[in-house]
Amino acid sequence: MSDAEKDPVLRRAIDELRRLPDADPGKVKRVVLAAAAARVSPADDDVLIKPPRRSNAPRFAAAGGLIAAALIVGFVSRGAFPSPSPAVPAEHATPQVAGAASPSMRSASASSSDMVALPQQFTLRSAAAHRVSVVGDFNDWNPKIAPLVRSPDGVLWSTIVPVMPGRHLYGFMVDDSLFVLDPRAPKASDPDLGSEGSVVIVGRP
Amino acid sequence: MSRLNLTASRLPLPRPAATAVLDARTISRAKLGDIDAFTEIVDAYYRRCLRFARATLRNPDDAEDMVQEAFIRLYRALPRYEESARFESWLFQILGNCCRSANTAFGRQGARAVDDDAALERIAAPAASVDRIEDDWGDAVRRALSDVPVYNREIFLLHYVEGFSYEEIERMTGVKQSALKMRVKRASDALRKHLAPVAARGGDVA
Repeated sequence: MSDAEKDPVLRRAIDELRRLPDADPGKVKRVVLAAAAARVSPADDDVLIKPPRRSNAPRFAAAGGLIAAALIVGFVSRGAFPSPSPAVPAEHATPQVAGAASPSMRSASASSSDMVALPQQFTLRSAAAHRVSVVGDFNDWNPKIAPLVRSPDGVLWSTIVPVMPGRHLYGFMVDDSLFVLDPRAPKASDPDLGSEGSVVIVGRP
Repeated sequence: MSRLNLTASRLPLPRPAATAVLDARTISRAKLGDIDAFTEIVDAYYRRCLRFARATLRNPDDAEDMVQEAFIRLYRALPRYEESARFESWLFQILGNCCRSANTAFGRQGARAVDDDAALERIAAPAASVDRIEDDWGDAVRRALSDVPVYNREIFLLHYVEGFSYEEIERMTGVKQSALKMRVKRASDALRKHLAPVAARGGDVA
């Protein structure tokens, strides 16, 4: 029998110490957001940024990405899709297709038109940023999937991402550490993480 | 003065503290960067981590920051986590490191200004207020624990409150089991010495 089990005072003290603090979902969400932001910082562990491999598989993946990118660029250039982006005038945009290998693109061959990923342009004005990516529920909030490209004037960042039709929450990850909302888009609470996100509605309402 | 009922302990000891059981797949998903899976992990362990940090830190006000720091370190290191190791031990190992660092930093800062009116009132109050404070068994326990040296306190909490075996704590801290048992005994003796008079004043100690 342990020391504590023999002593009722100590047992009662341990019971008291075992009382858990009250649950606070808001704090849990803040921790998750902080950890998610920190994991993609430049000082991150090297295991997260693996050097490109030289096997055949990545070549196929890259080829798939290029094909998907070409499809999207084609759609856009033909005006096949409206631009529902809360974004910027077209003359400023320097669209680049990003995240072509995202899960959204894998649904592009579905028979229903509602299940086809649509190209969605995202833009952000920031002269000070060094890196910008769009993160949202359509790419698992992964900042490595959809980096934005800086325009020649150095102020506007933009990209085009295939996104499934529907309402989506998103934001921008600036310099791998700062999560900012799109100043041109409406905001809503993120059901998963609690914080606010910008809202984009893709496809038919 | 309220009567303390000290007969209703829910022990035996130690035992794993209550935590939602995490599916191994949840940890695997989190290793791959799945934020939903990581949210499940934080949700399952946050309150236990906060309890441990509050009891371990010299400045309990730092507890939430240390818990957040521990989860940040955990998330960064997750890709390297070997699933043969016990996840819970690993988390508390990280948290323990964070708390030790914070205690060291706090010790260097020395005394801090007290801005809390309630705290000032307690300090300035006459001796009778000690009885008032210790009417509350929980306050008495926390005050007694705060008098236990941190290096003994941490091991005591890991063993009796968080439910880790001495073998697990040895792996987590690198301290031999014989030394761990001695630290727990010293912490237990200190708590008993402080709390026995409080319990005697309170009543039943069966």
